[in-house]
Amino acid sequence: MENSAKKIEIEICLGTTCFVMGASKLQELETLIPPKYRSLVEVKANTCMDLCKNATYMKAPFVKIDGELITEANVEKVLNVLERKING
Amino acid sequence: MVDESFFIDIDCVQEKKHGQNTFGDCFMSKRYPDEGRVIAVLSDGLGSGIKANILANMTATMILRFIAAGHDLTKATEIIMETLPICQVRKISYSTFSVIDCDDSGLVKIVEEGNPDFVHMRNGEVVEHEPEIRTSKKFTNRRMHLYKFKLEPEDRLIFCSDGVTQSGLGTEQYHLGWRREGLIDFLRDELKTDKTVSSRHLARLIVKEAQLKEPGRLAKDDISAAVLYFRKPRKLLVFTGPPYHAERDEEYAAIFNDFPGKKAICGGTTANLLARCLNKTITTERPRPGALPACSHMEGVDLVTEGILTLTKTLEYLNEGGRIPDDPAGKLMELLLDSDCIDFMVGTRLNEAHYDPLLPVQLEIRKNVVKQLEKILSERYIKKVHLQFI
Repeated sequence: MENSAKKIEIEICLGTTCFVMGASKLQELETLIPPKYRSLVEVKANTCMDLCKNATYMKAPFVKIDGELITEANVEKVLNVLERKING
Repeated sequence: MVDESFFIDIDCVQEKKHGQNTFGDCFMSKRYPDEGRVIAVLSDGLGSGIKANILANMTATMILRFIAAGHDLTKATEIIMETLPICQVRKISYSTFSVIDCDDSGLVKIVEEGNPDFVHMRNGEVVEHEPEIRTSKKFTNRRMHLYKFKLEPEDRLIFCSDGVTQSGLGTEQYHLGWRREGLIDFLRDELKTDKTVSSRHLARLIVKEAQLKEPGRLAKDDISAAVLYFRKPRKLLVFTGPPYHAERDEEYAAIFNDFPGKKAICGGTTANLLARCLNKTITTERPRPGALPACSHMEGVDLVTEGILTLTKTLEYLNEGGRIPDDPAGKLMELLLDSDCIDFMVGTRLNEAHYDPLLPVQLEIRKNVVKQLEKILSERYIKKVHLQFI
């Protein structure tokens, strides 16, 4: 994959609920992504995805990878999904 | 919203004598909102460390209490001058002091005993005043300098302990210390660079500069600088929490948008709501490891942070009163301290997820945190604070 290709976007919700439920640890995600993948990925924060108060979800913290929602996200889960996205 | 009259921005920054674990100078101030009046005292206790600290504190406290009890300023300070004990070892008095009594119309009374003469800056230049001198009846070496004059908008008064004017004393470059003349040159330059610098910043700059004069930057004496700045109030609006009635979001967003002053948003949901109503975009900073969620940005808004955790942390920092940490709560603290009149618009809609017993930390109720912020900001940091629950 070339660098000019569209990057995979990882969006971490940093709202209060997500933050205390574990997103604080996801803030260092960028440094935990395997070096070979780093150039393919862009890590962003979201002020609040407004999902914590939604009864359908209720599983903070939330992360989206190219729009795909990960509930009860942690570093391992995020990296697994990322791996799948990259390697198909 | 809070009123429009002139504001007395007063603050003090101190540095301890090197090797001491407490300040030997003491600064205290009290605001009387009903009278539109501020009284402040800067006292320098003899020597340094805990003894000086107690002496300076005692002097400052007594003067403030005298005045709070309704005594006339001159009378109160005269009594202090006549009664301050003499150190048996050094045969000099226990402390020196400067008292400032200023009201919203700019009328100021100053009494100085033993401290370096204050500096009055107007339009970047010094205004000198002739004092009325009162000599002590009991101690011939004690003399009070009395001043009474009127400040004009944008005027500043600078007070300091001799740790400032004598900084660098005995060094090759400053045989006689930095002196009042050196301080004045410095003030001229700084005020040319930044005409509207806040009292806190200017005081910090003076203390830093004085420290620079000392060999190895080790203060030989306690260094204190107090600054009074008479100016139009700096206003800040903090919007935190979504309004209880969602159908009024637009209305409150418009009030926020039209506010004449600085603006801060504390809360992810609140930021989203305002962005939606005002048709603006939010950009977030790159996530970085830290104890607080990173800040975001919105056009026309000075600071956007997460809500309750950041507010709670800010309250903690304000209580500690130390150096301002470099994190989102520190940024909010900086913004609060640089403002004179602070409006809080506090949305009271609850986020149920915050009260889930499974959360690993207990989140404070927004209303309570803001009330505590109001208390410390108005009492300790002498700000005019106004709360509005929406």
